[in-house]
Amino acid sequence: MTAGKTVITLICERAADLNSLLDQKGSLSDLPDVHVVKFPCSGMIQPLMIEAALKAGAGGVIVCGCQIGDCFYREGNKMIKERLLGERPPGLKKTVDRRRVMALWLSRRQKERFLTEAREFVVQMKKIDELEGSAQPAVASK
Amino acid sequence: MTSSVKNETNSSWWKDLYNRFIAGANKATLAIEDGINALITSKYNPLYYHGALPQFYLWVLFLSGLLLFAYYIPTIDNAYFSQKLINAWTSVQYITDTLPFGAVIRGIHRYSGDAMVIFIFLHAIRVWFTDRYRQYRWVQWVSGVVLLLMVLFIGQTGYYLVWDERSLVLTRMTVSAFDALPLIGEPLKAWFLNGSTITNLTLSNFLFIHIGLSFALLFVLWLHYVRMTRPVLTPPPAVNFILVGIILLVVYLAPITSGRMANLNSQPNAYDMDWFFLWNYWLMAHMPLALFWLLMIAAAVIATVLPWLVKNVSPPVIPAEVVIDKCTGCSLCYRDCPYQAIEMVPAPAGSRFKLLATVKTARCSACGLCVGACAFDAIDLPQLLDTTVTAQIKSLVEAK
Repeated sequence: MTAGKTVITLICERAADLNSLLDQKGSLSDLPDVHVVKFPCSGMIQPLMIEAALKAGAGGVIVCGCQIGDCFYREGNKMIKERLLGERPPGLKKTVDRRRVMALWLSRRQKERFLTEAREFVVQMKKIDELEGSAQPAVASK
Repeated sequence: MTSSVKNETNSSWWKDLYNRFIAGANKATLAIEDGINALITSKYNPLYYHGALPQFYLWVLFLSGLLLFAYYIPTIDNAYFSQKLINAWTSVQYITDTLPFGAVIRGIHRYSGDAMVIFIFLHAIRVWFTDRYRQYRWVQWVSGVVLLLMVLFIGQTGYYLVWDERSLVLTRMTVSAFDALPLIGEPLKAWFLNGSTITNLTLSNFLFIHIGLSFALLFVLWLHYVRMTRPVLTPPPAVNFILVGIILLVVYLAPITSGRMANLNSQPNAYDMDWFFLWNYWLMAHMPLALFWLLMIAAAVIATVLPWLVKNVSPPVIPAEVVIDKCTGCSLCYRDCPYQAIEMVPAPAGSRFKLLATVKTARCSACGLCVGACAFDAIDLPQLLDTTVTAQIKSLVEAK
């Protein structure tokens, strides 16, 4: 498995419990490309942070909050969900590649589900990178 | 010196036990919720609407109670016993036996009350086990304890209103319980009976307490909700239909009936138990009254001060801070704060903007929703600055 671009995970510390999956640097032991940044609540995640990660060259961003309906702080996961969907300001810029952002709503026990979703996401991001990588020279040669 | 050390080890011993109990209870709650999510998805999970469930049954109780009120006659008058007697008991019989669907409405009223108590306990236990009752949520917890006590008392007065033999026993037991209280016992008794003995005025007083306190619930509910932005007041319609369906099924399977009419000259001493509302009468019958009151008052006090008994389990809240020269007064954080902890005030003189966000520190949970809402970097959690997070994200990506 060749190393791809970095994937940033912005996750609520009360959502899927990833502590046992992390190595010392804060990335997933199974998927070293995926780095995890924890928040007290997914509602704290700013769309600006997602934009910053992608602008700096991240392969993709995973946003993970608790099950919708079960935010410890009442509405955090609903807020970031609505922000990502453009239903609540501030939203994501239109220029952001929506394919590179994935949102997950997982309870504390669903770390396995997180892992399978993240694995698939990393594969998808690599496919997109390859497509774009092969498309660009073709455009240039015209 | 030694004694204080001993005390410390003692307190840490029970604290440890309590913390382990809560941790286990929390895990169990999560497991149950995951199971329900797998069955019916999170959208319909009743544990995600646990506060709205008793609220829904309150509306059912108001509506069915209004219909019962139209035909209920709050008297005990036995004067014309041999002739056509009209009193509380016969009016309840009339509702049950003669009025179309009267028995159904009566059954709905009774069983919705039971269901409300069940769901209030479910609600309280869940917020307790998931640690959602302390610190910035203490107003909700304390008003919740008051609401529970009110609901229990309202339910009991409902049992007096039927005026069968059970009502008479319960009324007499309540009077003797008040009698056992020093100083306030006598006035409480006079207030409860609306006089010195059981008369027609007693029953009109019961009806007033039953209905008056039910409306007073609305005021305490306001206190219960006042610190929450957009409280969840109604479950999804599908859940509502199921809740009403369950009640109707129970009404059909176990119709409500009255006992024999109360007779003030008799001494009935046995009655059917209702474990939702009448458990404290069971306690009253099985222990000295002084001990009963001690237990009741201790339970109420411990429940009320629970948020302050459990300290140091999680670190204290460090409230969000507004960066005054960056705030544009756009109100986004004010609108999104789930605890009404942000207030928009007039901006200081010389500012380019009209309004300025300010944080009410006692209400702040340090969840950071306001940080997520701010597009101007103007509000921060002091212990986790968004600029630090963004810098960390950038360095992680660029390290490649």
